[in-house]
Amino acid sequence: MKRDLYKYPFITSFVIVLLLSNFSLAQENDVSNYRIGFNFNTVKQYDNSRLLELNFIATNKKDRKDKIPVNNAEIKFFNVLNDDKVLLGKVYTTNEGVAQLILPENQNYLIDDDGNILLIAFFEGTNSLEAETAEISVKDLHLELNLTEIDSVKTALVSAFTMNKLGEKIPVEDLEISFYVQAMLSKMKIEEGTISDGSYEFKFPTDIPGDVNGNLIVYSMVVEHDEYWNVTQKENANWGVFHKQTMKEKNTLWSAVAPLWMYTVLTIMLVGVWANYVYTIINLIKIKKEGDEIKLKI
Amino acid sequence: MDIIKRKKELVKEFSPMLEKTSLISKLWIVVLIAIISVGIYAFYLQFINGHKITGMRDNVVWGIYIINFIFFVGISYSGAFITGVLHFFKGSWKYSIARIIKIITVLSLIVGPIFILLCIGRLDRLHYLFIYPRIQSPITWDIIAIMTDLIGCFIYLYLTFIPDFAILRDTADLKVPRWQKNVYKVLAIGYQDTASQRERLHKITEIMSVMIIAMAIVAYTVLAWIFSLTLQPGWNSTIFAPYFIIAGLYSGVGVIIISMYLIRKIYKLEKYIRKIHFIGAGIVLLIISLLFGYFTFSEYFAKWFSHKTNDEELLNTLFSRYFWEFILANYIGVLVPIVILFFKKLRTIKSITFAAVIAVLGLWLNRYLIVIPTLETPYIPIQDTRPEFIFYTATWIEYALSFAGIAAFILMFKLIMKFVPIIPMSGIIDQERCEENKTNNTTNQVQ
Repeated sequence: MKRDLYKYPFITSFVIVLLLSNFSLAQENDVSNYRIGFNFNTVKQYDNSRLLELNFIATNKKDRKDKIPVNNAEIKFFNVLNDDKVLLGKVYTTNEGVAQLILPENQNYLIDDDGNILLIAFFEGTNSLEAETAEISVKDLHLELNLTEIDSVKTALVSAFTMNKLGEKIPVEDLEISFYVQAMLSKMKIEEGTISDGSYEFKFPTDIPGDVNGNLIVYSMVVEHDEYWNVTQKENANWGVFHKQTMKEKNTLWSAVAPLWMYTVLTIMLVGVWANYVYTIINLIKIKKEGDEIKLKI
Repeated sequence: MDIIKRKKELVKEFSPMLEKTSLISKLWIVVLIAIISVGIYAFYLQFINGHKITGMRDNVVWGIYIINFIFFVGISYSGAFITGVLHFFKGSWKYSIARIIKIITVLSLIVGPIFILLCIGRLDRLHYLFIYPRIQSPITWDIIAIMTDLIGCFIYLYLTFIPDFAILRDTADLKVPRWQKNVYKVLAIGYQDTASQRERLHKITEIMSVMIIAMAIVAYTVLAWIFSLTLQPGWNSTIFAPYFIIAGLYSGVGVIIISMYLIRKIYKLEKYIRKIHFIGAGIVLLIISLLFGYFTFSEYFAKWFSHKTNDEELLNTLFSRYFWEFILANYIGVLVPIVILFFKKLRTIKSITFAAVIAVLGLWLNRYLIVIPTLETPYIPIQDTRPEFIFYTATWIEYALSFAGIAAFILMFKLIMKFVPIIPMSGIIDQERCEENKTNNTTNQVQ
């Protein structure tokens, strides 16, 4: 039994969490009171790598807010075609119950005649938890985002296509797509539309502030599509209109410029004193002049 | 009154001061030059090695240099104040001491700022003060104030010298070198003592005398603000500016009395610098010492009563490590002059001079206690440092330069007295002319 505990630490921890959570009754902590969520998702990222993500979370049947992630569970990801089954990788779930695997751009997939890639996430199961399987059939969609100026009009142009076995581009039709710009905390939607004949373009707004240098990060995204799932592409452009906040610097003791009254008082005092010096010197010159005249007379 | 004849008489009376230099005077000059030379050598060492050969360290960044600076500048400002006020008094008595005060004013304003230069660790960056001035800084105000005041004092001193330069220029049998006569000629700027020239000179001198009173108050206030506008315990005080002005007057009057005594003794000017001058100056010193004592008590009493941690720490330092200095500065330095000057019977020339010496020494020590103990008790405690980095003791370099400053002051005083009589001849003539006019008017009215 002791060995089993070490062998299945995630189960042990899961059970401990169940036992300790909310000081509930033993009956309520039973695994049977939880619905096991085994949700598989895939995102084609902007560098054309593919993210496989699995969320392994148990939700209380009676209280949906009571969610317990299954951590440290070994998840195997497979690519399957007919009888062929390729292991893509093994990943353990995190404390949040998430297992992620990133497949590189040049990953070779088993693809059926229609261009579908069948991906499977598999959990072997333990004494306490049953085995789980989730699968996704996804077509490899290519998104190309271009930000160009056409006749001095800033234009965002996106091309969407799939590739056949001969390596030819096949434009996609009727595909919902959204465009975002990266804001400080999240992405801000700026446009949404439908791709027809493999492309979509729109006039880029000219009133979006970028960073201090006016740079923008623009995303084109296909979200939760039945065939393509999630596909993201991004591009940078120096199209931001950076509105520098013009804070008028007040004249203070600690700013580069002194308070106005200080300049005023100092100027008045110095001008007053130095004007008197000048006046004195002028009078001395007059005294000298008079003395010279007397000397000449003598 | 035959003005020309009277002028000749006065020149004859005062010319020995200009024409002859006694052996003792020559010896004095040699001694003073020797002291200044040692000071120059000390400055050379300080310039080469930096402030590490002084007692100044991270905590006590200002040593006795800044104390000398405040002390000399205080004397100067009080001199300017007194000389400006004297101008509005009538009576011949004021001429005997007016020039002494004016010379003290200018010379101490020349010597004082030299000490502030010695405080600067990187003298090679001195010009930054002028290239990158920050008008918000009291140090910038002080530079402007000192420079403006120095020029003003020079002009004022020169204005009062012009009639005497003219008298000396017109005295053919004055046995002084040719270059000296040429200088008299240039500096007299063609002054012929005509009524219009006299009136014009009188007018601008009067305006300048008012101005230097105001400038003295402003400039010394600004100097006080260098300290009081900081948050340092012992400095952050609302009464610091008037306290500094009173303290400046206290030391200034003291130095004037000492100078009067020495000049009277050395040049045998008993006829001009009389007991009445000493008694008058003594009474002024008494009033100022009472005011100074009142301000000092008020300053320390408020600190003690408010029980602020840092102020308490400072007072503990003053009453432990600096106990005797505190007693000498704020008890002996104030009470002894008060006792001497208060009783009429004690008001002799020597005792008044003694009181002045005590006042000057006490005041210097008072400045020391304002600067050093405050810097030794900083707001932020310093950890892991050597005691010599916290506590200040002046080195021979600092003392050498301090004495060199005093020697330079005396030497310049002596040289000025070799150049122009210490008693203004023109003032005596003006007074006699005035009295004669008054007598004539009275006679005419009677007739």
